[in-house]
Amino acid sequence: MDVKDRLIAELGSLPAIVNLVDQRKRGYHLEVLLTPKIIRDFSLLMRRLDFYLVFVSAVHLDPEVEIIYQFANYHGPCRTLARAFVPADGIIPTISDIFHGANWHERETRDMFGVVFSGHPFLLPLLLPEEDADLKPLLKKAAALKSAERIRRIAELATPVAVDNTGKNNPEQN
Amino acid sequence: MEANTGGKHSFVLNMGPQHPSTHGVLRVILEMDGEHILEPEPVIGYAHRIQEKMGESRSWPGFLPNTGRLDYLSALIYNHGYVALIERMTGTEVPLRAEYIRVITSELNRISSHLLWLGAFLLDLGAFTPIMYAFDDREQILDILEDITGARLTYCYFRVGGVFRDVDDKFVERTRAFIKRLRGRFKPIYSDLVTTNIIFIKRVKDIVNITPEMARRYGVTGPPLRSTGVCYDIRRNEPYSIYPELDFEIPVGTSGDCLETYLVRVNEMEQSLRIIEQALDRLPSGPFRLKVPRKLKLPQGDASFSVETARGELTYYMVSDGSDVPYRLKIRVPSFSNLSMLKELCRNMLLSDLIMALGTLDLVIPEIDR
Amino acid sequence: MGEEEKSRLNIHSYAALARERIESGNALTAGPDDAQPFIRMELTDKFFNLCRANSLWPMTFGTACCAIEMMALAMARFDMSRYGFEVFRPSPRQADLMIVAGTVNRKMAPAVITLYEQMAAPRYVIAMGNCAISGGPFAVEENYNVVEGVDLLIPVDVYVPGCPPRPEGLLEGILKLQEKITGNRYPFPQYNPPKE
Repeated sequence: MDVKDRLIAELGSLPAIVNLVDQRKRGYHLEVLLTPKIIRDFSLLMRRLDFYLVFVSAVHLDPEVEIIYQFANYHGPCRTLARAFVPADGIIPTISDIFHGANWHERETRDMFGVVFSGHPFLLPLLLPEEDADLKPLLKKAAALKSAERIRRIAELATPVAVDNTGKNNPEQN
Repeated sequence: MEANTGGKHSFVLNMGPQHPSTHGVLRVILEMDGEHILEPEPVIGYAHRIQEKMGESRSWPGFLPNTGRLDYLSALIYNHGYVALIERMTGTEVPLRAEYIRVITSELNRISSHLLWLGAFLLDLGAFTPIMYAFDDREQILDILEDITGARLTYCYFRVGGVFRDVDDKFVERTRAFIKRLRGRFKPIYSDLVTTNIIFIKRVKDIVNITPEMARRYGVTGPPLRSTGVCYDIRRNEPYSIYPELDFEIPVGTSGDCLETYLVRVNEMEQSLRIIEQALDRLPSGPFRLKVPRKLKLPQGDASFSVETARGELTYYMVSDGSDVPYRLKIRVPSFSNLSMLKELCRNMLLSDLIMALGTLDLVIPEIDR
Repeated sequence: MGEEEKSRLNIHSYAALARERIESGNALTAGPDDAQPFIRMELTDKFFNLCRANSLWPMTFGTACCAIEMMALAMARFDMSRYGFEVFRPSPRQADLMIVAGTVNRKMAPAVITLYEQMAAPRYVIAMGNCAISGGPFAVEENYNVVEGVDLLIPVDVYVPGCPPRPEGLLEGILKLQEKITGNRYPFPQYNPPKE
């Protein structure tokens, strides 16, 4: 069973939405839509399956900022993009104790977007000078801010194998 | 090796943003105990140049010059990633001749980046001769590329739909002559003078110990990863352009120390020469650029594109809202993840070995800070 | 750039203060940069200037891409040691020329000023590359971090434009600096300038 199939099988245990996308058109193989509660479980799963963290970043969208994680694997082509919307208080759990590389990525995301990662050991400015710690330069002004529908693909160019596990394992969400 | 005073009298030493190695403006705060480093803490941000913000504030062609300034030593590969991303999003075809030209120039750029790395690495060791030879070879490459691209260092040669200017027979001749020349210089200069030099080996062997597990935790890619034995190269694992049709090996080390990384890079130069030779043999005729409309709107949605630069895996991730100005451009650079490993990699190390470790990781600070 | 954005780049302008002092003719309240020797003799002045110009010791201050062209200038093809300044000193105490090669941003600005003040007079600064002259490609409306020109921080003697300038361009800049110091374009007598 190759890496991608194994990942899809294991993701069945998490209440997440998994989309298989066309790698030639999107550049990654799988898209996973998460909620902040299951980010850490998802990261533990990725670590168990030997993935490495490509980046952690964010996109400023209309109601909340959206955090993006991209993972890839050394042994088989399975680039995975995971997204989660930051809740209203702007705090999201950290994954820097699971993937140590996320330490710096999360510091940079805090610099640029103001997202606070709870549990991060050292959330101080990484790229900006200390007096600019609250500058948050990549947040968009109100005129340029768009909502999530305006930036998602209109025609679904992906092969429509969408696996929706949000109903399973999470009776609160029903 | 135990620390000198058993950690009782530790002090903090600042290896400041201005220091005489050519990596750029990196600051490392060292907690020292005598000559041993207890823990290094890299501080970056001294070369932060608003690249991602600029990517979101101008239409997508306006960002092309910036891609050359991100990592100026392998600027063509950064160009490649960006234009290929736009091509992926818009579905633009690239003529075959342009793909071959892209690969030939990218590999020449990779060789010139490795040559500069080699010279600077050995300069940090104290060897002043190899950098002269390395720069001499590098100037040959720069001459070849200057004729077609017009620039020596920060190229902006690729366009969506092809390349900016065609190559002629003179380029092919000069490149073949260069390949022959460099192959002839590998043994007497880089091998006999450096690789088999006992002083060099003693300075460099068993200095750092990158394990595949540590590399995976930090997201390390490129030669530091390949020196541990993991054969991961974007050109092989997620091939792009015409790399699937070319026959080359991925050099892999065994133990993940400085010497192995050095050997991986030198062998990569040889493999790049092989790639260039094959590509020159097969260079087809045809158009070198397909015109795209100037205000080409990017379709709504997101896409990512990964390429293998001289330092590791570079990933561009773009989110578009349907206009020709990207909504979000995220650039994931290899040196960022490689440097984040430094704190764990260089514990309890001698100060002079830290310089070797920094050289091994092959950092370019302006790309880390973007 | 909006006014509130401009105030973000409000960095202590050393050059402006020094200029004010010189223009107001206040030699008695001269700062350390305006140190004048007690005795000046024209011939020894000329001689010392000749010696200084032919043996400028640059400090390694490469920040970004221009640093590579500065290194290329020091290498075998362009070879700046024929003009006397191949000795790159890492320490500012031992250098008298600071070639600011590359972008300076707000985090780096205090370091630039500190290094400049640590150099011993007479000291010279060359701003190499568009970023050091005026912010270069990063002097855009949405700029929040790049100092638009290193002459907002320290007084600059010679500007070398280019992105990056060719090594010959930087060499021309250093020769211009020699001309500024000695008044003469080819200060070393044994070089025969081309006939006009």
